[in-house]
Amino acid sequence: MVIDVVSASDEIHLKNDTTPVSTQQQAIDFIKKIDTLIKSDYWPHIRPKTFLENIRLNIYKPLSIYEGVSTNFCGYAALSYILLHDDPLQYAKFMIELYEHGEATMGKVFFHPSPEIEQAAGAMKFKGKLDISPADQIWFLSLADHFKGYLNVFDKHYDAGDEDKLWASVNYAKFNRMVRELFNEKVDAIGSDLIHPAINDLYEYISSKMKKGTMVLYINNTFLYKKTHSALKLAIPTHYIILERISKIDDTITIVYWDYGGRSLRQLTPKFLKRITYGISHCTKKMNDAP
Amino acid sequence: MMRHRNLYQILFAAVIFWGCNSTQKIVTTYYAENEQVLNNIEQSFKTLYRQRPFSIEFTDRSFNFFSIEIMTDSLKYIYEFGINEKRIKDTLLKYALNEEGILDIITQMRSIQCTWINNLDYYVDQEKHSLVFISMRPVELSKPFTNKKYYIITYFSQPQYFDNEGKLLVKKQMKRTRKINGEIFWRINDKVCYTISARFR
Repeated sequence: MVIDVVSASDEIHLKNDTTPVSTQQQAIDFIKKIDTLIKSDYWPHIRPKTFLENIRLNIYKPLSIYEGVSTNFCGYAALSYILLHDDPLQYAKFMIELYEHGEATMGKVFFHPSPEIEQAAGAMKFKGKLDISPADQIWFLSLADHFKGYLNVFDKHYDAGDEDKLWASVNYAKFNRMVRELFNEKVDAIGSDLIHPAINDLYEYISSKMKKGTMVLYINNTFLYKKTHSALKLAIPTHYIILERISKIDDTITIVYWDYGGRSLRQLTPKFLKRITYGISHCTKKMNDAP
Repeated sequence: MMRHRNLYQILFAAVIFWGCNSTQKIVTTYYAENEQVLNNIEQSFKTLYRQRPFSIEFTDRSFNFFSIEIMTDSLKYIYEFGINEKRIKDTLLKYALNEEGILDIITQMRSIQCTWINNLDYYVDQEKHSLVFISMRPVELSKPFTNKKYYIITYFSQPQYFDNEGKLLVKKQMKRTRKINGEIFWRINDKVCYTISARFR
């Protein structure tokens, strides 16, 4: 079955229910005023020019942020999607502060990355586009360094290569906690790290929620992006995607989602959707800055 | 006791050495036997990729189903088809893909148990480069209890640098080995490398 392309008006409809804390234009105006930065003593492997270029790219093209090849940064990338769409000015200010002073605050969280993180940022290799995205390296590494969940218990200290390992992994409760503590968002979460959410009609549940806010799905990636042909697959979730659109014709569900720095469209059956979905986090902007 | 320990160590090293060399031999032999088909697939893929980026993946062990990812400016479309389904042509037509060329690549991939073909970007000194990444699932690796089931062949656009053992290096001056998808690669010729992997992508 071949279906229609998502039109520009659809894209506007996808996001027009949220109340951004800041706009893309405000972030552009802010970053335009910063011509140069002095090389930071805190981040020895990061040149100010490439750092600023990376920040600018994320503001102008928020979909392009990319977690890197084989890393466990997908949870942090999904988080970044929310920030870059709903409050890009805060993102820009935070990153400049963190670069210049080696510490900064976002929401309720004070970040003071460890010396190992400062050394690692800008030096990551063989991660595709992340190799040339120093600001994203700072951002992802700082998030992983600060936030800890039960999956990180046995590997809390960063060593080279830990971005691919349990040190960087994000369990479901940790993801929801990060969104709540960092952003002005309300998170309605259903699901877990081991058991599928007990929802009879997943399509109806998700599509009814998608009328407003941002929808994050916590899924089993070995089914969505097959990497082996093994019949035995671990029944655990490993990946976060942002669901932008969902529709259904007969027994075929079409989803448009964001991950790995771009949007994808694919068709699946209701059974397959149920099989891959472990968590559904519906993030909505708190109105009037309500607690 | 000490003498036995040394003997075990020598035997263990010999097994590892033999294992590495036999693996190397198997893949290079496979490449030599299928060189013409592999080169045809790579050349056709590169030509068609320039017209519109795409990748092809066989999704099942019996090579009866495949998935095609079609990249447009705003979206990546992911479709799955049975090998003889008629709607493949409609889809290729819709996205202005060369029907004959794509179907020919799929047929050739199937003939040598090729599971995936894609274009991968990598970076040297902040500069973007591309390579063609081809995975195979040959019959000899399909046996039970074999962890690494895929041969991976990479085609670079320009000659690469290797150490004395034939490991792919980052740069001539830099002795650091380059990893692709987390794997170390080995030389077949100046522009073509291989590895054996547990994953095809």
